[in-house]
This record gives sequence, C-alpha cells and structure tokens, in this order.
Amino acid sequence: MTATLANHTETAQSKSPIDWAAAILNGYLLIFFAYMFLPMIFMVIAAFNASPTPSVIDWQGFTLEWFRALPQDQRFIDGLMHSLIIALGVIVISIPLGLAGALLLTRLKSQATTFLYTVLVSPMLTPGIVLGATTLIFWRDAFGVEGGLLTATIAQSSFIASYCMLMFMARLQRQDIVQEEAALDLGASSFLVFRRITLPFLMPTILTAAAIALLQSIENYNTTFFAIGPSWTLVTEIGSRMRFGISPVINVIGVLFVAITIIAATVYVMASRRKGRG
Amino acid sequence: MNSLIKSYGKGLTSIFLGLTAIWIVVLIVLPQLSMIDRAFTFEDRGGAAATLAVEIDRAYEQVFQINIRLDELQAEKDDLIAGTSSAGQQEGASSLNPFAAPVPAPSGGASDLNPFGTPSAPQANDRSDLNPFGAPSVGSANTVSRTLAEIEAEEAPLLADKGDLEERIATLEAEEQATSDTVGVDKSYSLKNFTMMSSVHLQVFLATIGYALCVTILAFALCYPVAYAVATTTSRNKVAILMLGLLIPYAINELLRIFSWIMILEKQGILNGFLDLLGIINMEAGEGFRFVASNGAVFTVMVYAYVLFMVFPIYNTIDTLDKNQIEAAKDLGASTWRIHWRVVLPHAKPGIAVGAIMTFMLSAGSIAVPSTVGRGLHPDWFSQVIYRRFFEADNWNQGAAYSLALLVACIIFIMFNMWVFRVGIRDIAK
Repeated sequence: MTATLANHTETAQSKSPIDWAAAILNGYLLIFFAYMFLPMIFMVIAAFNASPTPSVIDWQGFTLEWFRALPQDQRFIDGLMHSLIIALGVIVISIPLGLAGALLLTRLKSQATTFLYTVLVSPMLTPGIVLGATTLIFWRDAFGVEGGLLTATIAQSSFIASYCMLMFMARLQRQDIVQEEAALDLGASSFLVFRRITLPFLMPTILTAAAIALLQSIENYNTTFFAIGPSWTLVTEIGSRMRFGISPVINVIGVLFVAITIIAATVYVMASRRKGRG
Repeated sequence: MNSLIKSYGKGLTSIFLGLTAIWIVVLIVLPQLSMIDRAFTFEDRGGAAATLAVEIDRAYEQVFQINIRLDELQAEKDDLIAGTSSAGQQEGASSLNPFAAPVPAPSGGASDLNPFGTPSAPQANDRSDLNPFGAPSVGSANTVSRTLAEIEAEEAPLLADKGDLEERIATLEAEEQATSDTVGVDKSYSLKNFTMMSSVHLQVFLATIGYALCVTILAFALCYPVAYAVATTTSRNKVAILMLGLLIPYAINELLRIFSWIMILEKQGILNGFLDLLGIINMEAGEGFRFVASNGAVFTVMVYAYVLFMVFPIYNTIDTLDKNQIEAAKDLGASTWRIHWRVVLPHAKPGIAVGAIMTFMLSAGSIAVPSTVGRGLHPDWFSQVIYRRFFEADNWNQGAAYSLALLVACIIFIMFNMWVFRVGIRDIAK
C-alpha cells in the first residue's frame, strides 16, 4: 500500500514539466548556504594572508606567519587552559546532575514532575548573561567568592546540566524496564542493577553528553563573560581582542575551530546515518 | 516515588534526590533569589548613610586642619620661648570653627534622585570656610608678636574642638557600623532600582526587545523554507549534505561567526573592498563606509549569529510530518500557500515556538554581538547596560534589577509563545 503510494507521488512529481516551486526553493537554499558559508570562507582565507589586518581583497602573499604567532601568544594559551579546566569541571558537575534529574523525571509518576521539569530546564531558557550575573551575585553574597574560574564553571553547569538531562531522558524513554525488573526478581541488589544494567545502557549517552558539555562550555561567551571576573578563557580573550580591532591570529583560531567542527560534524552525520539505516 | 525506590533502592534514590535537590537549590533557585533580593534592595548612596560617610570624612579633615594650626601655634610658642618673635603668622582661626557651616542634614527625596548632587555641594562650601589659608586676614599680618598667654588662649578652644571632633568621629563611626557593613550605603527594600531606571536605559531596554523581536521574525522568515526543504528532501545523501551544511556553521563558535562578519563590515573590510571593485567608492582615497559600530551592523550580525537556532527545531517538527499529507493536499488542488498555512505550519508549531524562544532569548541577552561589533560606539544594547551597572558603576543591585527585567521580558515572551502556539513546556524544551 505504502509502496504504491510512494510510486504514485514519484510519477506525480515527474509528470509536471518544470517544478517552479522546487526550483525557487533550491535557488533559495543556494543563497542561504552562501550566506552561511561565505563569511567563514573569508575568515579561513584571510588567515593565510600576509596582510596584518585580516583581509581577502588586499592580498599581500601567502604566509603561515600567523600560525606561528599563535602558540607564542601566552594569553591565548592560558585562555585555552582555563577553558579546558572549566570544561572539565562542567562535565564533572553536569553529568551526575543531569543523570539524577533524568532518572527522577522518567521514573517519578507524580503531578509534580511537570513543575520539576520546568524548574530543571529553566536555565536553558534563561539569557546567558542573567545566569552569569545571578551566579556571581549568589556566590559573592553567600560565600564571598569573587568572579573567576569557579563561578564560571558553576554558571555554565547550571544550564549545561539541563542539556545533559534532556539527552539522558531521551535515552531513558527508550529503555526496556523489563531487564531491570527481571534482574531485581532474580535477587540482584538495586545497586547492582543500576551498575550493571542502567549505567551500561546509558554509557553511550554519557559519552555524547560529555562531548556536548565540553563543546558548549568551551564555546560559551555570554555567561562566562559575566562570571569570569578578572580571569579569562579562550573565547572571552578572543572577544576582548575583537573589541580593539581584529588581528589575523584570531583567523588562525578560526581555521582551527572550523577544521575541528567540520571533522566532528562529519563524524556525527555519518554516525547518525549509519544508525538510521541499521 | 515508590516506583523509583523499587527500581533503584533507597540508597541510590536518595543520592539522585540529593543531587537534584543540590542542582535546584544551589545552581538555580538560590542564585535567582539572591538576584531578586538585590533587585529589590535599594542602596541609598545619597541618603542618611552616605551623608554619614561624608560627615566622617569631613570631621577627619577638620581634625587634620586643627592639628596643622596647633603645630603652627606650637612653633610660635617655641619661637617666643626661644626669645625670637615670629612675624607674619596667619591667623584665620575664626573661620576654623568646625561647626560654623551647618552639616547637611540627612537629606530627603531630592537627594535620593540625585545621589551625589546634594552632599557634594555643601561640602565644597564647608571646605572653603575651613581652609585656614583660603582668606588670609590682613589684620592678622600686622600682629607682629603675641604673648604666650594670647597663643595659649587661641590654643585652648582648638584643643577642645579637637576633642569634640574625635568624640564625634567615634560616635559617627559606631553609627555607621550599626547601619550597614558596606561603607556609606543604606539598604532598604523598595522598587527604586526599577523606578529609577533612567529614560535612556528604558529606551535601550525597549529598543533591545524590539530588535530582538525583529531578529526572531526575520530568522523565522529565512529559516522556514530551509527547514522545509531539508525535511521534505527524499534523497538520503542530499539530506546528509544539507544537514552537514547546517551543522557546521551552527557548531562554529558564536564569536568566530561574529568575527567573520566584522571582517566584512570593517572600514577596510570586504564589503567596502567589493564596493571599491565595483567602482562605487575609492578606498585608496580613504573612502568607505564604516559599517561596524551601528545598530544596523549589530542587527545584521545578530541575525547571522542566531539564525540557525531557528532552523533545527522547525526542521525536527516538519520532519515528523507525514509527507503524504502534503501530497494529498496537492492532489486535492490546494495552492502552495494553502498547503503551508493549513498543513505544514500547524504541524510545525512546537518547532516554531522553540525556535522563536531560543532566537529571542539569545538576541535579547546577547552581549557578544553588541560588545564586539558595536565597539561601544553604537547606542547600547541592554546587555551592555547591565554589564556596566555591574562592573563600571559598581551598582550590583541596579544591575540585578535590570537583569531581572530582562529575564521577565523573556518569560513573558515564552508564555506568549506557549499561548499562541498552544504548546506545553515539555514541547518547548526537548
């Protein structure tokens, strides 16, 4: 039945002489992707231009000078270290929190879950600067902790934990609870069941969530900008450089980010396609 | 709760409950509460406590002046004792009376509105009265020499005054300690942090909300066809390529996306270079538009930076639509417009709501775009006003009030979307 229906649509499409709507849509897609990619391409090209102001039009020769300049820039290197420290902290905080929240929400059969859910996802819907500001205020007023790597870690965790929770919930909803029940019936302790059944089932999601948390943390600007105090991360350092004018060293960072992103996105799309087929 | 304990046991369940409780209390509720607390706590910088601080400063200054005068008199006395007469000593002691000029009383409403106006003006007057060298009296210069008794007669009231002042400083400082721990600030619960928002800040707030709404609408207009096209593409390979094309710019750092646009809009940038190639402007002659540092540039870059947050949610919902519905509508003779209005859009509602909420929230709260594209030269974005309240004006309470205003605007927008698109919170955050 569905096969004949699909067949039918196929012939219906090929029958029309020129599908104007489709042509316009394809044209629009082309423009849209040009809009998305041209600025990136400019950014990458300018990283190899000898001109001291990043440019693609004023070509002063191919150079790798800016690539050599980057590792010598101590503030960028320190910023990267700070970013990684924060990201590690964010992962350590958000994975357990997100997991606990997801387990509660999927297993709790109560009227209160919608409210609990709203509270737990609210940081995702809060503007980043508000998260940064509230964390800064709370930790200074309550414990005298000034803005720095610690407050940045906590501020980021508050919303990254929500993302992790949603990922865990999506996974848990597909879990077959029968396995757990069978193990319990056979006399396994609940801790053993969690360690041997639930946790292995969630392991792929834990890894994905950690990767997403890492990326979100390193990329975050708005929240970090407020909570970081006098310290800095790679991204806030890029931001403060940009305010005083632009330098090709930032283009080099751009090239590295673009390369990493393309590899990661390709792997992700390939993996999800394979999953879709299997 | 029972089902939870049944599957994980008491120990693990309490760990989960504990972690979630910590998350809610420490990371979400308490920070929000401390922001709200600060937002409604008005720090009266021009009120009683501030006047107190000014008074204490002034008393210290007066003691300092008296000490100078006493030193002078002491020197005069030493000279007399040594048998040499000193001449030309200035007097000015009459104007030295510390309480000659009335200390400004703890001020009322007017000073609240203008925190630094009232206390500073009388202070300046006082200073000129106090300054012993301000108006050297001609008469005193003629006093060639004075007797020891005369000098001591002048010294006595000064010493008494000094004693009084030191006593007063002690009481004032005790009072200050009692009123608040933060120096010179009087705290009280009020709405003043909001009502005191200057008209400039209010305009910036409204403009920011307006721009954010425009970004959201424009992002929807740009994204809907893309999401539709990707979701209705039947070829697997084409979908993979399109998804890759969307994911890559989406995943690239927000700041780098902004950076690439600054390169374009810069005065020596690509757009001006392009115009130069077309012969519209001559860059050699220093011609060129400074596109950056304007609200238009902030707007353009913001659309670019946040547009993709609209694509994915809409794509996800259209993807679940049974495409046969579209075919059926087509076969029944519906126009393209009607298919979208009656079939695709209603199905995409939750996605549109999510996309709109994310885009609005990101652009209304963005500090990355206005602070880097704007360079502080364009009219402020509200996020920058908040930042300045915190870190430049050092007025955290007003900063908290402004943050709360932004948060409330976002909440209203979220509720409005939930109402218009008839979606629940579970549809929104997925």
